[in-house]
This record gives sequence, structure tokens and C-alpha cells, in this order.
Amino acid sequence: MRLLKSETGLFRLIELAGEKKALMIWAGIISTVSVLFLLIPFIAVYEVMAELLKHAADTKKIDSSLLITWALRGGLGMILGYFLMYIGGMLGHIAAFRILYGIRVRLADHLGDLPMGFFNKNATGKLKKIIELDVEKIEIFIAHQFPDLINTVVMLVLMIGFMFFLNIWFALASILPIVFGFFIQFSMMAGKKAHVGLKEYFDALEEINTSSVQYVKGMPAIKVFGQTVHSFRRFYQDMLNYQKFCVQYTDNFQNSYVSFRVVVLSLATFILPVGLFLLSGDPQNVAFAITLLFFLVIAPGVSTPIFKLNSFASSLNIIAEGVKRIDRIFAEKTIAEPQKGQKPTSFAIEFREVSFAYDAKESVEVLKKISFTAPPGQLTALVGPSGSGKSTIAQLLPRFWDVKEGSITIGGVDIREMKTKDLMDVLSFVFQDTFLFSDTLYNNILIGKPDATPEEVYAAARAAQCHNFIAELPQGYDTVIGEEGVYLSGGEEQRVSVARAILKNAPILILDEATAYADPENESQMQVALQELIKDKTVLIIAHRLTTICEANQIIVLREGKIDDMGSHRDLLSRNSLYQSMWQAYTTSEDWQIGELGKKEVPV
Amino acid sequence: MLRQLYNVTVGDIKKMTRPILWTIAANLANMFPFGFMVLAVKVIYEYYATEQTVLNMPLLWSFWGGMILFIALVFWCEQRSYQAVYRGAYEASAQGRARLAEHIRQLPLGFLLSKDATNLGNMIMNDFQQTEDAATNFLPQVISGLVIPSLSFLGMLFVDWRLSLAMFAGFPITLLILGAVRGLERKFGTSHSEARLVQANSLQEYLLGMKVLKAYNLRGENFQRLERAFYRFMKESIKLEGALGPFFIVAIAFMQAGLSFITMVGVYLILGGSLTVPIFALFLLVGTHIFDPLTVAIMRLPAFKYNALAGERIVTLLQQPLMTGKQDSPPNHDIRLENVTFAYDQKVVLDDVSLELPAGQLTAIVGPSGSGKSTVLRLIARFYDPQQGQLVFGGSNQRELDPEKLMKKVAMVFQDVYLFQDTIRNNIRYGRAEATQAEIEEAARQACCHDFIMKLPQGYDTMVGEGGSTLSGGEKQRISIARAMLKKAPVVLLDEATASLDPENELEMQKAISRLIKGRTVIMIAHRLKTVINADQIIVLDKGKVAEQGKHEELLVNNKLYAKLWNLQQQTSGWRIPSACKPVY
Repeated sequence: MRLLKSETGLFRLIELAGEKKALMIWAGIISTVSVLFLLIPFIAVYEVMAELLKHAADTKKIDSSLLITWALRGGLGMILGYFLMYIGGMLGHIAAFRILYGIRVRLADHLGDLPMGFFNKNATGKLKKIIELDVEKIEIFIAHQFPDLINTVVMLVLMIGFMFFLNIWFALASILPIVFGFFIQFSMMAGKKAHVGLKEYFDALEEINTSSVQYVKGMPAIKVFGQTVHSFRRFYQDMLNYQKFCVQYTDNFQNSYVSFRVVVLSLATFILPVGLFLLSGDPQNVAFAITLLFFLVIAPGVSTPIFKLNSFASSLNIIAEGVKRIDRIFAEKTIAEPQKGQKPTSFAIEFREVSFAYDAKESVEVLKKISFTAPPGQLTALVGPSGSGKSTIAQLLPRFWDVKEGSITIGGVDIREMKTKDLMDVLSFVFQDTFLFSDTLYNNILIGKPDATPEEVYAAARAAQCHNFIAELPQGYDTVIGEEGVYLSGGEEQRVSVARAILKNAPILILDEATAYADPENESQMQVALQELIKDKTVLIIAHRLTTICEANQIIVLREGKIDDMGSHRDLLSRNSLYQSMWQAYTTSEDWQIGELGKKEVPV
Repeated sequence: MLRQLYNVTVGDIKKMTRPILWTIAANLANMFPFGFMVLAVKVIYEYYATEQTVLNMPLLWSFWGGMILFIALVFWCEQRSYQAVYRGAYEASAQGRARLAEHIRQLPLGFLLSKDATNLGNMIMNDFQQTEDAATNFLPQVISGLVIPSLSFLGMLFVDWRLSLAMFAGFPITLLILGAVRGLERKFGTSHSEARLVQANSLQEYLLGMKVLKAYNLRGENFQRLERAFYRFMKESIKLEGALGPFFIVAIAFMQAGLSFITMVGVYLILGGSLTVPIFALFLLVGTHIFDPLTVAIMRLPAFKYNALAGERIVTLLQQPLMTGKQDSPPNHDIRLENVTFAYDQKVVLDDVSLELPAGQLTAIVGPSGSGKSTVLRLIARFYDPQQGQLVFGGSNQRELDPEKLMKKVAMVFQDVYLFQDTIRNNIRYGRAEATQAEIEEAARQACCHDFIMKLPQGYDTMVGEGGSTLSGGEKQRISIARAMLKKAPVVLLDEATASLDPENELEMQKAISRLIKGRTVIMIAHRLKTVINADQIIVLDKGKVAEQGKHEELLVNNKLYAKLWNLQQQTSGWRIPSACKPVY
């Protein structure tokens, strides 16, 4: 993927705009021409007023056809100006929205290539905020600020030339305030004060994003435990913080913003004294008066476009900070993809001296020099207390993370030498946390093999014991999960995910056995479904209920990231103390009956 | 306009009065320097028009003095309005967010479960951000855009009504066009909002389903649905920007044509001798200024209205009826369902169910999936009110009870445990906010979590990931039991975990549950029938109706659904890897 660009701020934004260079150039040219056309009405008014002034004493001499002509020219200029403004604006917006679309697609793509660890560290709310809001803000720069900046500068250069040609003093009087205004904007943009609180502002925004998602998702718990918005975590505090930083940030810009506004609004105040001064020396000179008029009339024509830049500095900084956060995601290292991928031809899994820690900086290793082989077509079970690393092993195989040391091979091929697509093609999973997309059940199963025929999908659903309950739903396979109050039970969801895996029919199956959903009908149906699924496959199963795996070809007992022992159920039961105690705990828990303990002590 | 204002301020227009007044004040102050300039120009014209001998320089300079003076005033007013606008808007949205969050909390949980939770989170964030934008960026401009021209127009009527009318001759057409596109605006705005929502939801799904996406090679560019959502949002954005533009351009052009009208009418009148040059000049000058604020207002209007849609969504949610009931919860905890019928949307889940759940007893609810077991628990916890029939809690109709006080009586241990991104200590403390450290630890010990907590790097101060992602299923369950333990509620609602835990976790869970239910009224959904053979009462649900009820032995003798389930479970008792998986070479 792309590396982090070293540019930040304005230059990085211009770089982003450059992605649609042709559109941007046309947008700039057309909007500049439009601004010039929009000056025509002012020039027309000036021409009319000059004519009026020349013949103020004798109105009969006024050339009425000239005035009418100018009136029409002014109107036409205005219409053309707005028309071009629309065209230029549209080009700019098309460029902007395409660029945003491109950034979003690239971001999503990049996120897909990141190791799962990234998602454990970065809350969904925060990532969402970056992809939605921070990206959205770039539009303002590309579609508005950038063309505005260009056309203002072009217009100013032309105006300055023309003004100096007319009269240097008036020119100075109108230019200086504008230069001053620009100076304010850019000094604010670069100034230290502008960045004070900006980071906090963004952090605060990400914080409320995260806590609002939690607030909504954790609502059952919040209600049960009588939390209010004021007592819930730091949610209320986050909101107040956000407010505080917003106020602080805008306060920073208060004086410059107001000064800019007032100065640009009062061009006439600067021009008038110059005119009066010149006029007082030579009151008879109509030419002076006419020039004065020109400047007074044209002033609002000049200041209106400049005005668009009034919050240029403050919003540019906000946009740039957002882009920084976007770039930070792009800078995250993806899982490396090999140049030339190899494909395994056989499907034995081998772990060779594998060590792994979730956090590269952390010294706590979850797996310590693990070596084992899961032979093809056989069933290998992983057991061990929680935290022993059994789930981690299953997560390393699809490269959700990469090993720290050692290697994992499939059919002798290091999984890092395989293209992700090829790797995923040989693996299928049934996870503990099933995830169904809010799409039709049909499509949820189809994920297993996107080019499957309907017959194949139904067959997989039948094999996974889903067909019957799906057929009973109002819309059958076209039922969308979550709509019209249709939700599946945990067991049903799990069988859908089994159907996916059956459809995929990959040679290696990784089974995280929360699949043993305990209600009786599910249990027997799951058994049938899994029987179908594991046929002739290399199966790696993370087992919790030991009965599940009594008959596994090989059981690996893990303890604190190391292999404690491996063998068959019978062997382990006879020699391994950890396995014995787990078996003991298991049989005790199987016989548990609620109420035995509880009932006796119930006071009547 | 008023409705938009109502929506933008989320129903609290008063909040915006101060900012609006200051904005108007600043704009009024701004008219004075211009007024002085116009006067100065008039004096100059009169000098040339009437062939006066002396140009009244002192008067002209004093006009300039007035301009300077008023600019100082403008500066002051602008500062005030800046502060009022931004502070007002941020304050309003912080309070608004809190109010919405509080309102959401008081809605029936059922309502919350029926909507996609993402949308609500979205509302608290994006929609408020949009109303914020509307209030800070658009409101002042729109208002000043309307106030100044209206006042100027009124003033100019007194100077010369004919030119004033000419100035605004095109304006009625402008209004007509703006009125005519309102429907279109709404249509495009709504579908744009929808696209935005679809994008938000797809994104959420993409992020939450990342594991599955990776496992099925759907990530990144392969994840078409997300890509389509991005694409649709792009299309809608361009459409929204482009489709209405031409109408607005035409509307603005008609308005701004006023400048040309002034010139033409002026020429006609001046030739007829009924207009003086200085007045004509005055109108021309005003004409160059008067349309700009209006143009800005018109151009801002669509964005303003679009953002007001966000406010409208918030207002709609705020109007959702809250849960009713004011009574204190009664001291006894017998629970009774009387002819309760309940449906999610159209799907009837409980059909005329009557049950007695006596205080101090252990009642088990069993039945096939989809039989309505969870719904019974949810009704007892008042996630919903039943559509027909009633729930009687300690002798009172549950609807009459204050929902928050009712909640104090009930502890729940459900399957989907949601832990907050906070320390473990605070996660347990949700059970009772004022609990001491000793009490928290005691609850943790009782719930068999103390030991594993102490093994964590920071013990009780260890942060839990979003939704509890850093803990195992069994650990999360036990923390949720510790919470419930700390709460000391007399009624315990239990949903037996169906997902299997490893044996040691399972055993610990069982110990924890046994301690939790001691001396309490317990209603429990059981998946493994063996667990509840000692229950005081077992209720068997099937397809939303009570199929049978009684003690374990009685039900076995009955030889109906329960006996069938029992036999089935005896046979399987945890699935085994079938021998079919043995090597086939």
C-alpha cells in the first residue's frame, strides 16, 4: 500500500485535490472567469454613475441609450457569471465527491489488510468518524476553498493592475485592507494559537463518538443498572469537553475572524478619505470625483469574493487535522502480501517453533515456541484453560496476526508465502462469535461461495440443518436479518455460519467450538450439520466440552502458551494431570443442577 | 422557515434568540458606515448637479468620522455576535445531546432494539453536528441576509417608491421559484440523508464483521456492498449539489436583475424630469449592496434546510412516548402474567399466556428456540409493555410502576454481556454506584472473578475493550454476575449461557450462579434441561403458548413436549465428533 506522505496541512490537501487534476483545473478556470463576469454589473453601475455625474447639472445631455446598454450589459454579465459559477462549482463538486469516494474506498480497502489487532485497539466509533466525517470535510476544501482561493487571487491581481492604472492612491487604499485581511488569515492558519486545542477538539470528538456508540449498544445494561446520561461513564463529561474545546477553538479565531470581516466590509471607509483629500485640493476636477466613484462602487464587488475566505484559516486547520488522522490509518502497516504466491497441494498444517505476542512491544508472549502438526484429513483438537492460547492458534492460521517467531505451513508452504486470497480459499471457519450481515439469508450463505448456484446454496442450508427454519420464515431465504423484527436464535445463526462453511467446502476447517449450542434441538441438529461439514477435511477444533473431542485423532493440551502434552483422549487421561483435572471439572459441571444449592436457603 | 428554525434548535428556539439578536444588531450597525458613504456621494453629486460654489468639505469629513465611529461599533457587535453564535450553538448541542441521550434511556428497550442501534449513535453524533453547523454557519448568514435588505427596502420606499419597486421587481418570481423547488429539495435531501445512513450502517457492519470478511475474502475492494454505499453516497451528493443549482441560479438572477431595472426605470424617470441625479445615484449605490446578503442567504438555504432535516430526525425521536408509570415498586415480588399477548411488529411471539411466578421460588422456562422464552424475561424486565393482557408485579399492574424503581428490583444475567470500555472495577460498580472497593471485591469473589482479575496486568484497574472484547466469554459472564451480585436485587432473571465455556470456566460460572440466586426470586431460561430438574416449577413454552408446566417428574410422567426434549437431550448430551472424520486415505 501507499506510504505516509510527508506533507501535511495545505500542501497535503492540494495533493489530494490533484487526484482529479483536469476537473480541478477546469473548475478553477471557469470559476475565475465567473468571478470576472460578476464584476460587470459593478462596472455597469460605475459607467452609469459616471455618465450621470458628468451631466449632473444638465440632465438633458445624458445619453440614455448608453445607460440602457450598460444596464443590459450588467444584467447579462450577472447571468453569465452565475451560470459559469454553477458550472465551475459542479466541476469542483464532482471532483470533490469523487475524491472522497476514492479516499473512502482506499481506506476501507486498507483497513481490510490490517491485522485484527488494529481493530482491538481502535474502537469502531472512532474509525467510523474518520471515514465518514473527517473525509467528508475535505469536500469543503476541494469544492469551495481551493477554487475560491484561486479566483480571489486571480481577480485581485487583475484588479490591482487596473486600479494602479487608474490611480495609485485609491488603489493603495483598497488593496492595503485586503492584503491585511489575507495576512490575518494566513498568520492565523500558521500561528501557534490556531493549533492550540485542535488536537484536543478532535480527540474529544472521537471520544463522544466512541461513548455514544457504547451508550446505545450498552443500553440494556445501562437501564438495568439505573445509569443516567450524567452518571454513565464519562459520556456527559465527553460532551462537555467537546463543547469546551469547540468554544476554545473558535475563541482563538474570534479576533482575527471579526477583524477580517470588518476590514473587508469597510473598504469604502479606507477609500473615502483618500478621495476627499484629493478632491479638497481640486474640487472642480470631475475626473477625480469619477475615479472616487469607481472605487466606491467596485469595492463591494471585490470584497464579496474575498469574503468567501473569511473562515479559510479556521476550517482549513480542521480539515487538515482530519486528513492527518486519515493518513495515520494509511500509515498503519498492512499484513505483507507475497509477490508471487505459492499454492499448497496438500493440507497438513504445521506449526514450527511459533511464538506470538499480541502487542509487539509487550513482552508477554501468548504462545511460546509451539510446534505441532495437524495431519491432513484428521481431526486435531486444542484444549486448555482460558488464556492458554488455544484461540490464538486458530487466529494465526488465517493471518489475522502474523507470528513473531517461527513459521506456520500448510502442505509445506509458509502461509506468509501464500496470497491472502489463496490462503483463505483453503480455509473455512466456524467462529464463536457468528456475524451475519444485514442482508438476505440467501446472500449470507452465498458468502461461502459467491458463484454458487441456488441449488448449491439450498443443499448447503439443508446439510447445515437450516433449511427448515428458513423455510418457515415469512420471506424464506429472502428474509433480511433484523428487518420486521426477524432475529435468529444463537443456535440458528451458528447453523447459518456452518452452511456458509459447507458451501465453501475448503480442505481445512477451523472450528471454534461454541458451536455446541446447548438447547436440545440445536444440539442434535448441530451434530448432524457438523458431521457433514468435517468429512474428509483437515480439522482444527478448539474444544470446550471434552466429550466433543473424545474421539479426535489427536488432542493437544495447552497450558500458558506452551504445549503441555498431546495424544489421544485415553492416553491423556491416563498420564496428563492438567487434562485429568479438566476432565474432572467437565464431568462435575455436566451434572450441575441449579436449585440444589439455591433452594435450601430460600426464606419462606 | 420557523419550522426549520425549530428543528435546527431541536425544539428550543429560545436558545438562539441571543445569537440571532446580536447578529441582527451587528448587521444593523453595519448599515451605518454604508449610509454615511451614500450621503457623502449624494453631497458630491449635489455639488456637481447644482453648480454650488463650494464643496462642503467639513460635512464630508464628518461623514467619514461617522463611518469610523460606527466601524468601531460594528467591530464590537460582531464580536458579541460571534461569541453568542458559536457558544450558543455548542452549548445548545451539548445540552441537546444530553437531553436526547437521556430520552433514549427512558424509551422502552424494545423500541431501541427494534431500531438499528447504529442509527441512534449516528443521531447523537452526526445529526447534532449538522444542527451545530446549521446554527453556526448558516443561521447568522440567512438571518442577516433577510433583515438588512428588508429594512433597506422599507427605508428606500420613502425616498422613491418607484425605484424601490423597480429594485425588487424580479423578487416575487424569485420567491415563486424558491417555493416551487421546495418539494424537490426535500426529495433530494431525504434520499441524500438515506444514502448517508446506508453508508454509515454498511461501514459499521464492515468494521464489526471484519473477521468474517477476511475469512471469506470479502475485505477491501471485494466488499461490494460498502463500495456501493460509498458510490451511492457520492452520486447522491453530486445530485443534491447539481439538480437544484440551476433553479437557484435562475432565482438569484431574477432578483439581481433589479440593478438593471433600476437603471432603466431611472433613465426613463430622469428624462421625464421626475427624478434627480443624486437620488438616482443613491439607488444605484444601494443596488450594488442590497442583493449580496440576499444572494448568500438563498445560496445557503438548501444547506440550511438539509441540516434542518437532521434536527427534524432528532425532534421526531424526542417525541417518541416515554415509558409511563409513577408508583413505587411494591415490597413483595410475586410476578403474574395475565393473558399476555405480545408481538414484535406483526410476528406474535406470546399468545395469551398466563403464568404465576411466585416470590422466593425458582421458575425455569424451557422450550424450543423461538418459543418465546426470552420474551417472557424481557417483559418481566419491562423492555416492552405487552399489547394485550397485563403483567402484575407484587400486586400492581407493571405499567403503573416507575420503570426506574422497577429496575432496582431486578437483576439480569443475559447471554449477550456488554461490558463498557472502562476499568473492570467500574464495570462491576455499575451494579451499585456507591459500592466500596471491599464490596466490589467481595462481589467479584462471590462471582468467581477475583482470581482472574488479580492476574490481569493492572488488576481491577485493567481497561476492558469495547464491548468487552479483551475478555473471554466466561470471564465476561462472571463479571456480569458480579455486577448483579452487587446490585442485591430481589428478583433475578437468568438466561443460561448456551455458548459453551471451557470446563473450568463452566464450573466457576455454576458456582457463581448458585451464589447469586440464593434467597432470591429466580426466573431462568434453561437450555440444558438437566440443569433445572430441581426447579420449583418448570414452564414449557411452545410457539408462544404454555404447553405444560409442573415439576420435572410430573412433566416426565406427562410424556409430552418436555419428555420429548428430555429424551433427545439425554441421547446427545453434548455433540461428539462422529467417527466419520477419521482418516479416509
